[in-house]
Formats: sequence, structure tokens, C-alpha cells
Amino acid sequence: MGRVKPIQELKRLAREPLLLTCIILVMASLFVFIVYPLFQIGRTSFFSVDGSFSVAAYKRILSGGNLLTALTNSLVLAFIVSILSTIIAYIFAYTIAYINVPLKKLFNGIAILPVISPPFVIALSAILLFGRQGFISNHLLGLQNANIYGLNGLILVQTLTYFPIAFLVLAGLLRSISPALEEASENLGASKLKTFISVTLPLSTPGIANAYLLVFIQSLADFGNPMTIGGNYTTVAREIYLQAVGSYDMQAGASLAMLLLTITMVVYAIQKFWVGKRSYVTVTGKPTSGRKLIDSGWLKHMMFGICFSLSVTVILFYILVPIGSFIQLWGINNSFTLDHYKYVFNLGQKAIVDTFTLSLIATPIAGLLGMIIAFLIVRKNFIGKKTMELVSMLSIAIPGTVLGIAYILSFNKAPLALTGTAVIIIAAFVVRAVPVGIRSGIASLQQIDPSIEEASTNLGANQSQTFFGIVLPLIKPAFFSGLVYSFVKSMTAMSAVIFLISARYNLITASILSQVESGRIGVASAYCTILIIIMIISLLILNGMLRLFGGEYDKKTKKTTNNPAGQKPLSM
Amino acid sequence: MKKRVLGLFALFFALLLVSCGREDKGELTVYVGLYEDHAIRAIETFEKETGIKVSHVRMSNGEILARIRAEQNAPKASVWYGGPSDTFVQAKYEGLLKSYTSPNSSFIPDIYKDPEGYWTGIYVGSIALVSNRSWLQDVGLDIPNSWEDLLKPEYKGMVSMADPRSSGTAYTILATLVQLMGEEEAFDYLEKLNENVRSYTTSGSVPGRSVGMGETGVAIMFAHDALKFFKEGFRDLVITIPKEGTGYEIGAVAMISNGPDLEAAKTFIDWSLTKQAQEIGKHTGNFQLLTNETAISPEEAFYLTEINVIDYDHNWAGLNRAILIERWVEMVK
Repeated sequence: MGRVKPIQELKRLAREPLLLTCIILVMASLFVFIVYPLFQIGRTSFFSVDGSFSVAAYKRILSGGNLLTALTNSLVLAFIVSILSTIIAYIFAYTIAYINVPLKKLFNGIAILPVISPPFVIALSAILLFGRQGFISNHLLGLQNANIYGLNGLILVQTLTYFPIAFLVLAGLLRSISPALEEASENLGASKLKTFISVTLPLSTPGIANAYLLVFIQSLADFGNPMTIGGNYTTVAREIYLQAVGSYDMQAGASLAMLLLTITMVVYAIQKFWVGKRSYVTVTGKPTSGRKLIDSGWLKHMMFGICFSLSVTVILFYILVPIGSFIQLWGINNSFTLDHYKYVFNLGQKAIVDTFTLSLIATPIAGLLGMIIAFLIVRKNFIGKKTMELVSMLSIAIPGTVLGIAYILSFNKAPLALTGTAVIIIAAFVVRAVPVGIRSGIASLQQIDPSIEEASTNLGANQSQTFFGIVLPLIKPAFFSGLVYSFVKSMTAMSAVIFLISARYNLITASILSQVESGRIGVASAYCTILIIIMIISLLILNGMLRLFGGEYDKKTKKTTNNPAGQKPLSM
Repeated sequence: MKKRVLGLFALFFALLLVSCGREDKGELTVYVGLYEDHAIRAIETFEKETGIKVSHVRMSNGEILARIRAEQNAPKASVWYGGPSDTFVQAKYEGLLKSYTSPNSSFIPDIYKDPEGYWTGIYVGSIALVSNRSWLQDVGLDIPNSWEDLLKPEYKGMVSMADPRSSGTAYTILATLVQLMGEEEAFDYLEKLNENVRSYTTSGSVPGRSVGMGETGVAIMFAHDALKFFKEGFRDLVITIPKEGTGYEIGAVAMISNGPDLEAAKTFIDWSLTKQAQEIGKHTGNFQLLTNETAISPEEAFYLTEINVIDYDHNWAGLNRAILIERWVEMVK
């Protein structure tokens, strides 16, 4: 696409009023729901309550005390968790790409779990297993003083939660390494180990760095696990919440949020623009030929053993929660009970209905918005396009708690008095979910020749007809995976919306949190189980609907384009 | 395709409209300091009896105060329902409450309500030591029955209580100790106690659960909260009243200054003082003493006349809340 002069551009846009409106609307919503709130955090952190400029809040944080501790704690935790996750993920990815082992489907499936899982599941299971009355700590090992609450617990829980993210990155990378180089190395007489160290490992460094940084960001932004199992080990996301919601110290909360945001953005920028650009993926011009998989020897058994036991551990963690939801008092009175479900259905109905309704509303908005933005970015030229792209993509790196505090700061007075309404919760859902939709939309559109759209326009269709009649059907897989992702993310959202729930709207995740806080692990487990069941049923229904709506043009799509099948919305 | 997609969206938006379109007789937003099960059952009953639709948020008492303070220019809620009156007193002097003397407050003895009508007591509960019997046996300790007992080295890392910044329970403990021992001695005591405390929780009742689970050995908390845990199945809990004397809370209800829905708020407060409303608690496993003279308190409740309570001054406790908490924070750091 060639550069067009601004004036010509404007003239062209003026001829397409619908497109112009669309661009303005998208720009306006990005501004109102992303740029402006972030600006508000910055402002609040620098101005004290009486309106005078001061850096007092930052001084307070950096001069030591519990706020600084929270910051350093988070960094230490993220550092350790990212290393462990990357190592585990590499073992998984290597095993799948290089070794002939059974159960590869299972290992792959493990990678999906954290995406659809509510934020508490692993932490709750860790308490059931390793807490004071924990199954392993107390009954198997007979420990009297086991303490899962704190750094150790967090490392365990976060590693299990986030290694799949690293796995997705590394699996893709290892798959794309051409075996030719490794074969050459071995033909020249290098041992397997030598080949691994001097060929495979160097080729995968960008992927390792990438995976490391993505986990780092996730760990920093994590809210649910530290709230559940952090104990006295305070972390920054949790401290932002305690400052803002617990003691209404907005300036302290906002300054912490600014620091967290800055760190995250820097890490994200390194990942995106520096590491992300370095690709040592070997281009041979030929499709990667099949790799001869390692089929015997101690390596195979060891790697399979590691992957298998880790997968079983993860699955065990997920199964424990439903089991825990039927136990009267874990470790004290292990009899079967339905009391926790009675409690949820008697007292928690509203949260379930609210969560479901709000997610259902946010889903199509996020799905459609993602496709529209992707379409604008790939197919159209207009002033501010780069900004739109940057803002919408960077928003993926905004930690949920930062977005949450930004929203209460921005939308508590006229003209945007939205706190306490459904709108603000839906907006948070959409903003959190839309970047993934945009990304898969862009990837899809780039593989589709624009001539089909041109043909539609030449035949007299207007912009909206072309978009709904041609573009959307063509990028259907991306669109629907965007819908699914939005729904799942909204149902399990917590870190941002925990700031936004009000007397009028309550959410399941917030109810789980309050149960966890008051130590009712059984009720929390029951909520989690119900949430998982609702999600599974909804995903099945959504899937069925896709079949119903998607069937008629499936064949056409396959004929006319390289169908961008299997868009996975999973990677960060 | 287009029609189907549009149809799909029409469906979603219809859902949206349906979910927003309900209207009722009146609306009311309440900030609740009670236990969640108690609160929900009480509010459901109120809604049924009056047709007023109530939204509520449950928070710890300090959080409610912080939120009301933050919202004072445009209050979202009209009623503050439950939690120790000390925090209500502080809110009264900060101008955050509106005086309202309900016709039903004639059923409430004078010692359980604000003379100017800013808050009215709905229940009473006293502070107790709550320990885990099997843990005590393991360590070889007797059941603690005095404040002094908690300073023993065996209790290191095994005492739990809440953080007085967020928890009304914890502030009641702090104010009790200051009134019992005098300020300097009380802070000496708390400093020594701090050595034994594992962690300060946000909510006042949580320590009881952690003692029940065996995670800590002893909690300082309200006796009625511990009783609730005992009934839930934590049979190892032992509740004792410290022999030096203990303090008590008056759980209160109040109207928030400049809140919306004034009439509905009055209706709610009138209702909350009735015999029927107060007796809801014992049916949901909450065992406070009731303030309405005609209401029948749960038989399990700890009657103030039967235990050694100090002459707890709630007005004094409220007035000094900010200062004492600040000193406590300095000390704990």
C-alpha cells in the first residue's frame, strides 16, 4: 500500500462516510476506554488531593516500607517463575517436536487449560494439597507446620498456571526449526548433545527470551493467586487493590499502578520490538521436512516421564477443586456434603446471573470490534492508523489491576459517571479481550487477497455490505475464535473488574475471592466448579452455533482462499 | 449471512434490554458489615415485606468507612448495616452520617444507641480468645484464659487477629485493651503480642477459621463469630473470656448523609430494629445478643451479665479511632 497524501486521504474518506464514522467511533472508544484512563492514573499519581503537583507518593513508595517491598517481591517472584516456566515449557516443547512419545495430544491439551480456567483453581488446589490440613502436607508427609502461603506457594502456583503460555511460544518455534541444520551437524560428527547445544539451543534463543518475558508480564500482573495464597508475601497487583479499595488511598494506588505499568510496558516493548523481531527461524524455501524423531534411549524415557508427571500434576490440580467442593470441611470433617452448593444457589445466584449476562453482552461487542479494527488496520489507510494499531495492541500488556484503578479514577464523575453501571464492567471485559481478536483478525486478513473485496465494491456493494457479506465470512474462523476468547475471558475476568463491581452488579470471581478471603474453601470450590461447568456448556453451545451459522459458506471459503484455519487465540 | 449475523446481534441486544428493563417499587443501596449469609437472608426478607429492591455490598467496617468518606460528595449508598459502632461514631464526627431516630428505637435500651440518633444498635457481641483444643494438647498448654497467656513463647507465630485498619473487630480489641490497661501499657502489650502474631487479616472473623483449620493456635475475635464456626463443624474450637475483662461491640445501623432514597432508607432502618428482623440472625447461624427488648436472643449467645465485661465507652472509642489506629500501624511496622 503506497503512501497517500493527507489531503487526498481526507477527500477519499469524505466520500466514504460510513468508513469515516467507523474510524471516528473506534478512535473515540480507544481514547475513552484506554488512553484517557491511563492518563488519569498518571495525573492522580502526580497530584495530591488538594490539586498541587507533588511526587510525594512516589517518594513514599521508593523510600521503602511495604509498598516498595511489594514491588521488589513482585519482581523477584516474576523472575523465578519465568525461569521455571520457561524451562518446563522447553522440556514440553522439545519432547513434542523431537521425541516420539505417546500422549502428545494430552500434553498439547494442558496448554489450553490456563486460558479457560478461572483464576483461583490452581491456588485453591494448592491449599487443599499443601495447606495446614492439606492432603499431601498433613496426611502423606505428616507435616504439622506446612505453610503454603507465601513465596513458595506462589512460585508453585504461578509456574503451573503460566508455563503453558511459554509452551505455546516455544512449541511453535521448535516446530519451525528446519531439521536440515541439525542433520548437517550430526553428519559432521557432532554428538546429539553437541548438536543440541550448538545448533538447536542457539536457534531457539529468541523463543526462549520471548517466552520468558511473556511469563514475566503475566506473573507481575497476577492478582488472583497472590490474593489467595500470597500470605504475608505482598505483591504489587494486590497492594494496588488494597490501597485503592481497602483504604481508598488513590494516590498511593495510582503511583504503584504507574510503576507497574511502566515496568510491564518496558518488558512488553522489549519482547515485541526487540526479541520479537529477532528470528533465527531457518528459511530454506522448502517446507520443513519431517524430523527424524528420537525413538529410543534414556532421553526418551526421561522426557516422557517428566512431561507425563507434570501433566498429571496439572490435571490433578484441576480435579481437586470439584472434589473439594463436595467435602464438608477439608481435612477436618471429610464427609460428603452438598452444603456448599446449597450456599451458592441460595446466596450466590445473583453473581452467577450477572456474570453470565454481562459476559454475553460483552462477547459480540468485543468480537465484532476486534474484526473491525483488524480490517481498518490491514485494509484501510487513514490518519492515525499507526496510533490506532499501537494503542489497541499495547492494551494487551496493561495489567488488569492497573486498568481497574484507572477506570474508577476516570469514570466516577460527569460526563462519564459510569461507576456502578453495567457499562463500565462490559467496557473492561471488551478492552481486556479485544487485542487477541484484533491479532487473529489481522493474521487472517493478511492471508486474503483484497481483490475479492474490490470485486464486491466494483459490483456496487457499499462498505457495510462488503464488510458483512465478504470480509466477515472470509475471516470467520478468526471472528469466532475471537468470540470464544472474549466469552471465556469475560467469565473468568477478575483483576480489572474487581475494582468495578458495585452493589448493583456482582461477579462470580469476586464472590470466589470473598469466600477465599474468609477461608471458606469449600464454597469457593463450589463457585469455581459451577463457573467451569457454565463455561463448558456455553462453549459447546457456541460451537454448535458456529456450525449452524458457518456451514453454508464453508466450502466457498476453502475454494477461494487459503483458509486460515486453526487460528489460535491463545498466545499473548 | 448478513441477516443471520444481524439476527444474532439483535438477539444479544434484546437480552441486554430485557436485563436492564426491570423496575420496582423503590430502590435502596446498603453497605453491609454483617456476615454475608445473615445479610442476604435479612435483605431478602426485607424485600419481600416492603417491595423495595435492595442492592448491597459486604465489606469490613473500615472499608465501609473509607468508601463512604470517598463518596461523600455523591454517596451511592443510603444505609450502613452492621459492624461495631466505634466506626459509626468516627463517621458521625466526620459528618458522614445523618441523624434519624426511628419510631422503633424505643424498643432499644439507651446504652445501645446514639443519644443524637446517628446510629442505633441492633446486636451486641463480646471479644473472646478462641483456641484450638487439639493444638493446645499437642503443645501441652492449658486453655488460655487471660490476655497475659497469649504472650507465652509457645504462641509464637500461632496468634491471629485482624488488622484494625479494615476490621471493626480488631479495633474493638485495640480499644478494649487501651481502656483496660491504659494506653501505654496496652501498646506495650500489643508490641509483645505482635511477636506472636502470624498475620493480621482484613476481616475480623477469618482468624477463627484459621484456628479451626489448625493453621494458627489462638485467635482474638468476637465470641459469636467463633460460635458460628463451631456450629459449622470446627469442633476443636474453645471460646474463653479473658479473666482481666473484655470489651464488647454494639453492632449498629445508620443512615448515610446525603444518600439517595431517603424514604427507603428510613423504612429499612425501622425494619432492622424490629424483633422479627433481629431474630433472622439466629436462623442463619449468627449468635449475637439482640438489642430489641422484645426480641429473643439466641440461647447460645454470651450474655454480658454473665461474663466479665469492662465499662466499654463506645463514644470514646470512636473519637479516638483514627489516633489509636495510626499509633498501632507505627508500632507494628
